[in-house]
Amino acid sequence: MNNYYDRSKLDTYNYNNNNYNKPMYSKDENPNSLYDPYEGFIRGNLFKNLYNGYKLKNPIDIEPLNEQADLLTYIDAFSFAAHDISLYLDIYPKDPDMIQLFNKYKNETNRLVKEYENKFGPLFANSNADMRVPWAWSKSPWPWEK
Amino acid sequence: MWIYEKKLQYPVNIRKKDLKMAKYLLSQYGGPDSELSASLRYLNQRYTMPDDKGKALLTDIGTEELAHLEIIATMAYQLMQGATIDEIKNAGLGGMFAQHDSGLFPTDAMGVPFTTAYIETSGDHIADIESDMAAEQRARATYEHLMDLTNDPDVLAPLSFLRQREVVHYQRFKELRNYYLDNKI
Repeated sequence: MNNYYDRSKLDTYNYNNNNYNKPMYSKDENPNSLYDPYEGFIRGNLFKNLYNGYKLKNPIDIEPLNEQADLLTYIDAFSFAAHDISLYLDIYPKDPDMIQLFNKYKNETNRLVKEYENKFGPLFANSNADMRVPWAWSKSPWPWEK
Repeated sequence: MWIYEKKLQYPVNIRKKDLKMAKYLLSQYGGPDSELSASLRYLNQRYTMPDDKGKALLTDIGTEELAHLEIIATMAYQLMQGATIDEIKNAGLGGMFAQHDSGLFPTDAMGVPFTTAYIETSGDHIADIESDMAAEQRARATYEHLMDLTNDPDVLAPLSFLRQREVVHYQRFKELRNYYLDNKI
């Protein structure tokens, strides 16, 4: 953990959904609860009953190297949470609680993306950010670069 | 269509060079149960899914697998950064270097080039989804083997993330298959 990263900030984003029941869940699995977006993100899984760490005793925290990576971690976490819920909704499209949660995480992702793009440049090829000179899309680092 | 996001689905910051691990990771870059196979398999099968559930799930998971392909490529790229010729030879990557230098090229961990024969499309939605369930299980097993091969937390973290995604995808495919069988679709 480094100085840029303050885990306590993530509490702001805790939607207290620890006992979130999913009424549409199929009969062959237990109704379960969801991790919050960050805890789900570092596990690669929002659904508590589907998680096991294999050889990891504990999930590994993200250690952002700078402010840009720090903000990106929030975006990663919320967009991951929305995505994992979207796969669930593909199968259970009539679950109103999960659709509400999807909207919440999606809106939070959009808010964070706007903040990120204002500070660090476009994150999407079809970004809504106003483009200035010089053209910022091509600017390093690219995702595979450190 | 697809829109590029200039970020990884899960961040990769590998500090320690490890050419052997880079070679092993190719299993998930261009191997039979690789992210490339998975993505192309689902994106081809989606056209013959019988309803919206199947079309949506295969489109969304097929798209996510492309993001996983990018994570694996990034890991291999970073693990090979700054490698010397001797290190490349010692890791068993000399043949790879002769043909591709340090350019990424989809093969499995033993250098067998990617083939579309890995893409299972039968036109039968139950057969396709059951093969997808099996593919997710094989990929999960491969990620466990890869996790057995390293103790570097920089490598383990993204591998663990990717392994869990296989678990979630398997679950959703299983739910879709059960839904079709229960409803005689």
